[in-house]
Amino acid sequence: MKRHLLRACLAFGLLAAPQVTQAQAPRPLVWGDTLPATLDPHAIFDVPSQFVLLNVYDGLYRYQGNPPRLEPWLAESHTVSADGLTWDFTLRAGVRFHDGSVMTAEDVVYSFRRLLTMNRGPASAFTPVLAPERVTATGPLSVRFVLSSAYAPFLSAMPLVAIVNPRAIAPNVANNDWGAAWLAVNSAGSGAYSVVAGNYQTRVSLDIQRFADFFRGWAGNPRPVETVRVRPVMETSTRVLALLRGEIDATDSYLPTDQVERVERNARTRVARDESMRVFTIRMNNMRAPFNNRDARLCLTHAFNYEGFNNVILRGFVVRNAGPNPNNLWGNPPDLAPYAFDLAKAREHCDRARAAGVDFSRPLEIHVQNELEQTVQAAQMFQADLRRVGITLRIVPNTWPGITGSTSRSETTPDMWIHWVSTYFVDPENWVGQMYDSQFHGTWKASSWYSNPEVDRLLRAARTNLSQEERQRLYAEATRLVVADAPDIWVYNTVNLRGLTRRVQGYSFSPVGSGGEIRLMSLTE
Amino acid sequence: MTALRHLMRDPVAAFGLLLVLFALFVAAFAPWLAPFPDDAFESNIMQRLRPPSREFLFGTDNLGRDIFSRVILGTRSALLVAVSVVLAAMMIGVPIGLLAGWRDGWVSEGLMRFTDVFLAVPQLILALALGQLLAPGIFTAMVALALTYWPFFARTVFAETRRLRGALFVDALAGIGAHPARILFLHVLPNAAPAVLVRATIGMGFTILTAAILGFLGVGATPPTPDWGLAVAEARQHLPDAWWFATFPGLAILFLVLGFNLLGDGLRDAADPRLRRSRH
Amino acid sequence: MLRYIARRIALALPALFGLVVLTFILSRVIPGDPAATLAGDSATPAQLADIRARYGLDRPIMEQAWVHMRQVLSGDLGNSIFSGRPVAEDIARRLPATLELTFVALLIATCLGIPLGLVAALNHNGPIDHLVRVLSVGGLAVASFWLAIMLQLQFSMEWDVLPLRGRMDVPLGMPARVTGFLLIDTLLAGRGDMFVDALRHLVLPGVTLALPGLATIARFTRSGVLEALQKDYVLYARAAGYGRFRLATIFVLRNAITVTVTQIGLLFGALISGAVAIEAVFDWPGLGTYAVQAILSADYKALLAVTLVVGVIYAVVNVLVDIAQAMIDPRVALQ
Repeated sequence: MKRHLLRACLAFGLLAAPQVTQAQAPRPLVWGDTLPATLDPHAIFDVPSQFVLLNVYDGLYRYQGNPPRLEPWLAESHTVSADGLTWDFTLRAGVRFHDGSVMTAEDVVYSFRRLLTMNRGPASAFTPVLAPERVTATGPLSVRFVLSSAYAPFLSAMPLVAIVNPRAIAPNVANNDWGAAWLAVNSAGSGAYSVVAGNYQTRVSLDIQRFADFFRGWAGNPRPVETVRVRPVMETSTRVLALLRGEIDATDSYLPTDQVERVERNARTRVARDESMRVFTIRMNNMRAPFNNRDARLCLTHAFNYEGFNNVILRGFVVRNAGPNPNNLWGNPPDLAPYAFDLAKAREHCDRARAAGVDFSRPLEIHVQNELEQTVQAAQMFQADLRRVGITLRIVPNTWPGITGSTSRSETTPDMWIHWVSTYFVDPENWVGQMYDSQFHGTWKASSWYSNPEVDRLLRAARTNLSQEERQRLYAEATRLVVADAPDIWVYNTVNLRGLTRRVQGYSFSPVGSGGEIRLMSLTE
Repeated sequence: MTALRHLMRDPVAAFGLLLVLFALFVAAFAPWLAPFPDDAFESNIMQRLRPPSREFLFGTDNLGRDIFSRVILGTRSALLVAVSVVLAAMMIGVPIGLLAGWRDGWVSEGLMRFTDVFLAVPQLILALALGQLLAPGIFTAMVALALTYWPFFARTVFAETRRLRGALFVDALAGIGAHPARILFLHVLPNAAPAVLVRATIGMGFTILTAAILGFLGVGATPPTPDWGLAVAEARQHLPDAWWFATFPGLAILFLVLGFNLLGDGLRDAADPRLRRSRH
Repeated sequence: MLRYIARRIALALPALFGLVVLTFILSRVIPGDPAATLAGDSATPAQLADIRARYGLDRPIMEQAWVHMRQVLSGDLGNSIFSGRPVAEDIARRLPATLELTFVALLIATCLGIPLGLVAALNHNGPIDHLVRVLSVGGLAVASFWLAIMLQLQFSMEWDVLPLRGRMDVPLGMPARVTGFLLIDTLLAGRGDMFVDALRHLVLPGVTLALPGLATIARFTRSGVLEALQKDYVLYARAAGYGRFRLATIFVLRNAITVTVTQIGLLFGALISGAVAIEAVFDWPGLGTYAVQAILSADYKALLAVTLVVGVIYAVVNVLVDIAQAMIDPRVALQ
C-alpha cells in the first residue's frame, strides 16, 4: 500500500515538474555497483573499471558469455607469424566514435602507445614484450604488433586495452599527460554508451547514455536501456535494502551469501548466480620458517575446514577448487584431487615436520583484508582449528594497499594472507603462470615466493608456445607439481552473486566484467 | 562521605553507580560467569547465526559462538580500554589546560595553538599512522585515542581555569603569597573538577564507540577478541536478519556508557556543595 | 573588540602550518604504497620503479614534504594519486554535502538541547530532570551506525515515510550547482519538489548525527544553568519577583551559555570529521568517507588536502566561537 503511494507520488512529482526528456520514458536503470577511481581506461584496471571498459569503450577483441569466448570485436581477424613475434590485426570498417569520427588504424596505434607510455594498470600485461614503437599501422585498417619475445597470452590480453579517440583527447592534453587529467572525468570511446560528463562525480555518480550509432547496431535488442545512472552504495546492508525497495536495480557482484535468501524471497528482486573465475586463496610465505618445510605446509593445508567454510558459512554458494586455476578454465590436470580437512593427517604432517626440526612455537600471523568479511571469517575459523593441532594463529587486520605494498620483498611479506585472484584475462597465465613462476617474485600474485626450477621451465615454455594443446599439457603438468608442493591453500572458486530487480532482462554474465554489459539488457517496465 | 550519601539520595546517579559496579563485577568474574568461556576463540560453524534460545541466551554469531558469553568476556576489555584512555588523556590534557589558563601571553597562546593542532588531526589518520609505527592492535588504538582526546580536557580545563582565575578566592590566595602551583592544584583544580569529570565520563563512551570504528579500519581490537565494538562492526553485514548479533553488544555498550555518565553526573552534583542548598 | 578578533585570526595560522607538517609526516607513514596504487594491481617491479621515478615518489621524504608544502602554500592542493584530478575539485564537491549535514545536525542538537538542558536544570532532581538526564546520556551511549541502520529499517523499510539513502531521489536528478548546498540550490532553481525531497533526505542522517551532540549540549547547558542559578544576582532577581521563566532566559541562560558555546565549537569539529559511519550507512557523499577511501587507497595527497580543509574549517569555527563568547561575555575580550 505504502509502496504504491510512494510510486504514485514519484510519478506525480516527475510529471508535475518541468521536465526535459524523462516524462514518458521508463525510470532509468539505477546501477548500484562500485565506480572506479578514474574513467581513463588506460590508467586503471580493476574490477570496477571493467564497467567503463565494457560499456563506454571497445577493444580489438572481447570476452563474451560464460564460459568466456574470445570474440573479434573492433578487429575482424588476426594472423600471427610462425615465430609468434608478429601479430597483424585487420580492423572492422565504419566503426564510429561518440563524436561521429570514424576509427582508423592510427587510432589503434595511438591507443596502444598511450597505454604503454602511461605504463599504468592494464599496461602490465604488455610491457614485458611490447614497446610503443613496435605498434604500427600497416594500412588504413590494419595494425601490426611486433613483440620482443613470443607471448602466447597476447591475444587473451587484448580485451584489456580500450581504443580511444585521439581527436577527442588531443585538445585537452596538458603537461604531456596524454590527456589523462581530462580523460579521468570524460570519455573518448566508441562503446554502446557514452558518458554524460556534467553529472560525473568521482566514486559517487556516473550517468551513461545510449549511443545510437554503436558499430554493432541495436537490432538484437528491441528495447535497449536508454539511460543508466550508476549510484554506488557504500554499505552492504544499505545496498541490500535499496535493492529490496527498488531504489537501485542492481547491487555489486559480491552479495553476501547470508543475504541471498532474503533477496530471492522478495517479489521485486532476484539473485543472479553464475560461476565465475575467481579463486579464494590463502597464501603462505614459502621463504620463511615454518613454511619452507613441505610437511609444515601440508599440516596447515589439512587443517582448513573446506566443507565447513564453503557449505556452511558460505551456504554452498561457492565451488571447491583444488588448485590455483579455476575449475572451469582449461589447463587443469583432469584428475586433480583437492586436499581435504583431516586433523589426523594434519597432526601427522606436523609431527613429521617437528622431527625434521621445524619449530611451531612462534605464533603465525595471518593478514586479512578488513573490509572483506569472508577473509576475516576464514581466518577465525582456521585459527580455531589450528589450535587443535597445536599451532597458534594471530589475525592481523590489514588493507589491500597495506598488504600488497609489503609483498615486494620476502622479509616484509606476511606469513600468510588471504585474497582472491580475479580474471584479468582468461588464460592460465593469469593464475598459475603469474603466481608460481619465480620471475614474478616481488608482485602480490607471486607473494608465496615459491621457487621450483622445473615449474619455472614448464611455465615459461607455456608462455611462449603458441599451440593450445601443448600449452594445455604444460600448464596441467605445472599445476600438478605446484599442487603437490602445496605452497598455498586454494579454497573455492567464486559463484558470482548479484542482486537484481526482476524488471532487468538480458543480464548476461561473463567472468570478465561480471555481467555489467548494459547493451544486452532491457527493462520490462 | 557526605558526598556519597548525597549520591545515594539521587536515584538516577545511584542507578549509574549500580551499572558500573555490576560491570566491574562481571569483568572481574567473567571466565566463571560465562556459560561458554572458550567461545573467546572457539568457532562452531554448525550453529552459526542462531536466534536467542535457552541454550544461547543472546543467540550465536557468524561463527557459531555464544554471544552471551562473548558479551560477558568483552566487559574486561571495554573497561580497560575506556579507563586507560581517559586517564591517559587527563594526565596530558589537564596540566596543559591549567598552565594555559593560568598564564597569559605566548605560553598560553602557544599551548592552546598546540592543542588546536591535535584537535584538528582526524583520529583515523593518527590511529592508522601509529598502527604503522607500533604494532597494529588494541594498545596502539588506545595510544591513538588518548592522543586525540587529551585536547578536549585541555580546552575544558583552560576555560574553567580562566573563569576561576578572576574569582575572588584566587586573588586572595595570590595575595597571601601562595605559589601558583599550589593554587592551581589545591584550589583551582578541585573547582574545575566537575567540568573535568563530566568531560571524562563523556570520554568513556566516546572511546568505546570510536574504538569500534578503528577496529573496522584495522587498528583496534583484533579478531577473535570478544570486544563489543568489534562485534558490532562484524555484525553490520548480517543486519537486519540476525538482529541479535549487533543488538546485544550494542546494548552492552549503551548500558556501560550510560552507567558511567549517570554516575559522573551524580558525582558532580553531590560534590558541589553549593548545589546541595538548592533543591527547588 | 576588533583587535581581539584580529589577534585570534593571526594566532590560528601557526596551528594550521603545524597541522600540515604533522599530517604530511603521518600520511606518508600510513601503510600503502602510492606507486602501487598508481601502477595498478598487476604491476611488475619494473613498472613500479618507473612510476616512482616519474611521480617523484623515490625522492627522500623530506624533499617530498618540502615540494608539497610549497605547492600547498601556493594554493595548489595537488592531484589525487588515483584519478589524476585536482583534489580541490573532489573536495569542493564533497564539502557542501558534509557542511549541509553538519549544520542541520547542529541545528537540531542546539534547538532541542538547550531547552532540554534548561528545563532539566529548572526541574532539578525532579522527574523531568531525571528523564532528560537518562535520555540525553542514552544518546551519547548508542553506537551511531547501529542507530543509523535501525532508524533506516524502521522509518524507511517498515513505515516507508522517509528515504533510505543519498541526498536526493535518483530519478529526480540534481538542481544546477550553485553553492553545492541542496537546500539552497533547489530553491534557487525554483524546484519546490526537489527542496522537499532534499529536506526529507536530511532527516534521518541529521537526527542520527545530532544525537550525541544533543546529549552533550543538554548536559552542559544543564550544568551551566545549575551553576548560574546559585549566583547572587539570581537570588536578588527572584526576591524582586521575576518569574522563573523570565529569570531563566534573561539572566541565567545568557551567562550559562558560554560553556555551551565552547562545546558547540568542539562539536562542529567532531561532526565534520567524525560522521564517517553515518555517511557510509546513508550513502552521504561527504568528506568522511572521502578521507577513509583516501586512506584505504594510499592516496596521500587527497588525505592531506582533506585534513587541511578540515583544519581550516575548524580553525575558522574556533575563531567564530571565541568571538561569540566575547560578545556574550565581554570580559573574555579584555583578557
